Amino acid sequence: MSQDDGFIAKILSILASLKLTLFVFFALAGASVIGTLLPQGMGSAELESQFSPTMALIIDRLSLNNLYHSGWFRVLLLLLCMNLLACTLDRLPKTVRLLKREDDSFTAEKIARFSHSRTFVTEMKVDQAAPMLRFAVEEVFGPIRVLKDSDTFCAVSEKGRWSRLMVYGVHLSVLVVLAGAIMGSVFGFKGFMNLPEGESADEVILGGGGGHFILLPFKIRCDKFDVSFYDTGLPKDYRSDLSILEDNREVLKESIRVNDPLTYKGVTFYQASYGNMLKTAELVLTDRESGKTMSMIVPFQQVRNIPGTDDVLRISEYQESFMNFGPALGIVVGKGGPENVAGSWILVNRPDFHGNKVHNYQIRVMGTERVSYTGLQVKKDPGVVLVWVGFSLMIIGIGLTFYSSHKKIWVCVESNGERGGSLVAIAGRASRDVQGFEEKFAELSKHLEDRLPT
Amino acid sequence: MTSSFLLSITTFAYLACTVVYLSGTVFRAKHLLKLGTILGVATLLIQTAGICLRWVESYQMGYGHAPLSNLYESLVFAAWAIMLTYLVFEARVKQRALGVFPALFAFLAMAYASFSKDMDSRIQPLLPALKSNWLIAHVITCFLGYAAFAVSFGISVLYLYRKRSNPGNPNPGPKGAFAILPDALHLEVFNYQMILFGFLWLSVGIITGSVWANSAWGTYWSWDPKETWSLITWLIYAALLHARTMKGWKGERVAWLSMLGFGCVLFTYFGVNFLATGLHRYAR
Repeated sequence: MSQDDGFIAKILSILASLKLTLFVFFALAGASVIGTLLPQGMGSAELESQFSPTMALIIDRLSLNNLYHSGWFRVLLLLLCMNLLACTLDRLPKTVRLLKREDDSFTAEKIARFSHSRTFVTEMKVDQAAPMLRFAVEEVFGPIRVLKDSDTFCAVSEKGRWSRLMVYGVHLSVLVVLAGAIMGSVFGFKGFMNLPEGESADEVILGGGGGHFILLPFKIRCDKFDVSFYDTGLPKDYRSDLSILEDNREVLKESIRVNDPLTYKGVTFYQASYGNMLKTAELVLTDRESGKTMSMIVPFQQVRNIPGTDDVLRISEYQESFMNFGPALGIVVGKGGPENVAGSWILVNRPDFHGNKVHNYQIRVMGTERVSYTGLQVKKDPGVVLVWVGFSLMIIGIGLTFYSSHKKIWVCVESNGERGGSLVAIAGRASRDVQGFEEKFAELSKHLEDRLPT
Repeated sequence: MTSSFLLSITTFAYLACTVVYLSGTVFRAKHLLKLGTILGVATLLIQTAGICLRWVESYQMGYGHAPLSNLYESLVFAAWAIMLTYLVFEARVKQRALGVFPALFAFLAMAYASFSKDMDSRIQPLLPALKSNWLIAHVITCFLGYAAFAVSFGISVLYLYRKRSNPGNPNPGPKGAFAILPDALHLEVFNYQMILFGFLWLSVGIITGSVWANSAWGTYWSWDPKETWSLITWLIYAALLHARTMKGWKGERVAWLSMLGFGCVLFTYFGVNFLATGLHRYAR
C-alpha cells in the first residue's frame, strides 16, 4: 500500500512540476511552428506529389497535415490542463494556510534578520514609543494588528493579501477558455451557405469537407446583396439584407456586413463571401449530322429534353471564369436518355470555339441569366460565453498578478535594558516588485525614525 | 506641412538619437545621454504630430480611419510604441544608458517603412474586414507588447555583455568599457519588469484580436499563421516567466529566452507574411 501511495505521489509531483510546465510550453510552441510551416489540410494525393514517400508517410502517421486536431496535440493540451490542476492542488492549500496563519509574537532580534529591516534605539520608554510607532505606521502604511502589548510591543500590518491568489485566477482562466473551446466543438457547429438573392434555405453545409449538412429550425432568405467599391476599385462594403422565416412567416429582417453579423436563436450568420450563380441559359444546338438547329432555355441543374429528339441535356456546372476564357457552362448530354452520357465545358463568350460540342451537338450560348448570391458563414457556439469569461479572468488575473503585491510590515519595541530607552525594530516583506518595496520601506523607516526621538 | 514630411524628419532624428545614445554609452558621457533623451522626446513629439496629421489627412481624403491599417502605418506605429515605452521606462528607473537599442529599433522600423521599394505609403481606404472598433484596440495593445519585448531584447543583450565581460563576478559592477551601464543585478530586474509589461499587453492583444475575429469571421481562433505565431511568442514568454521562478534559470537563461521571444515577435510581425496563407494579408 505504501508503495502505491509513493507511486501516486510521484506521478502527482511530476504532474505538478515546473519542468512539465516548461516541457508543455516548448512542445506546444514547437508543434505550432511545424503547423505554420507545413500547409495544413493537405490530402494524401497532395502529400505524395510534394514529398518523398518516407516524408509523406511520417507526415501522415503523425497527422502533421492536420496537426492542431491530431491526437498527440490534444494530449499536449490535456497535459497542460493536468499540470495546471496538479499545481493548484499542490500549492493552493499552502497559500491559503499561509494567508490564514495567525501571527506569533516575535522579538526584535528575529525580525532584524529579514531582508528588509531596520533597528534603532529611541530614548522613549516602550509604553510611550509603542503608540507613537503605531500611529506612524498607520499614517504611512496601513492599519496595524497588535500581537503583544505588555513589556514588549509587537504588531504587524499587511496589505494586498489577495494578491497571492491572483496567479490561481490566471491558471483557472486557461482551463475556462479550454472548457469553452471543448463546449463549442461538442455542442456547436460551423458551416456555410450560399444564398441566391430572393431565395430562402435552411441547409447549412458543414466545414471540413465530406458534404455533411444540418438543417436549421428556421429558414433564412437573402432579400438583396450589395457590394460597393471605392474610387480606387477596392471593395468598400459587402452587405446582405436577410430575413428570418418561421413557418414561412417573416419574423426578423436585418442587414449584415463584415464585422456586423446577425444572431438568431443562438445561430450567427456572418458575411463571408459572394459571387454569381447561374439561373438559366439560352442555348442553340446544331446537330452536326443533320444540320438542324434547336433553341432552348434551360434552368441550371435541371434535366431538359432536346426538342425533336430523344436526347436529354443538363447544365451541371457553372464557372464565372474558366481558365481565363470567361464564363463557361458544364453541359452534360444523354444520348437517347440518361444512360449514354457525355459532357464538356462550353465557353459562353467564344461561340466559335471548336470544343463547344457534346456528342453530335455544336452548342452556342445565346444568353445567361445570372443571380448574385451571398456567402454566409454560419455558426453556433454555446461555448463562446465561457471563452469570454476566461479571457476576462485572464487579463484581470495577469494584471493583478504582475502589478499587485502582498506587503507586510513587522514592528517591535523592546526595552533596551540598562542602557535606557527602547529598541525599535521594523521589518518588511513583499511578494512582488521587491525593488519598489525597498524604496517604500526605506521611506517608512525614515519616517519612523523622525517620529521617535533618538 | 504634411504627415510624410514630419515622418521623414522622424526617421533621421531617430538615427541621430541612436548615435547620441551610443556615443554617450561608449564614452561614458552623461551629458550625451541626456541629449539622447531630449532628442528622443522631441522626435517622439514630431512623430506623434505626424501620425495625427496622417489621421486628419485620411479624413480629408474621405476615408477616415486611424493610421494603423497596413504594413507602412504599422511600422511607423511600432517605432512610436518602442520609443514611448522606452522613454517612460527611462523616466521611471532614472537610467539613461539603455537607449541605444530602442532608438536603433525605432530607426530601423522607420527606415524600412520609408525606404523599402515595395512599401506602399499612400493612405488607402479601409477594407471591409478592417472596419471595426477592434482595429485600434487590437493594434495598439499588440504593439505595446512588441515594443516592450524590443526594449527587453536590448536589455538582455547588455545584460549578457555585462555578465561575460567579467565572468568570475556574479554581479559585476561598473568597470571598464560601458561602465556607465547599470550593474547586472539591476539589468536583470529591468528586463523582468519589461517582460511583465510586454506579456500583459501581448495577452490583451491576442484576446482583442480573438474577440474581433469572432465578430468578423465567426471564429475566435482559427490557427491562422499570424495567430499561431503570436501564441508561440506568448508560450515562449510564458515559459520564461515560469522558468524565472526556478533558481537555475535566472539571469543568463532568461536573457537568452527573452532574445528568442523577440525573434518570435519579429517572425510574427514579418516572417508570417512570407508564408502562403492567412487572414492577416492586408498587413503585408
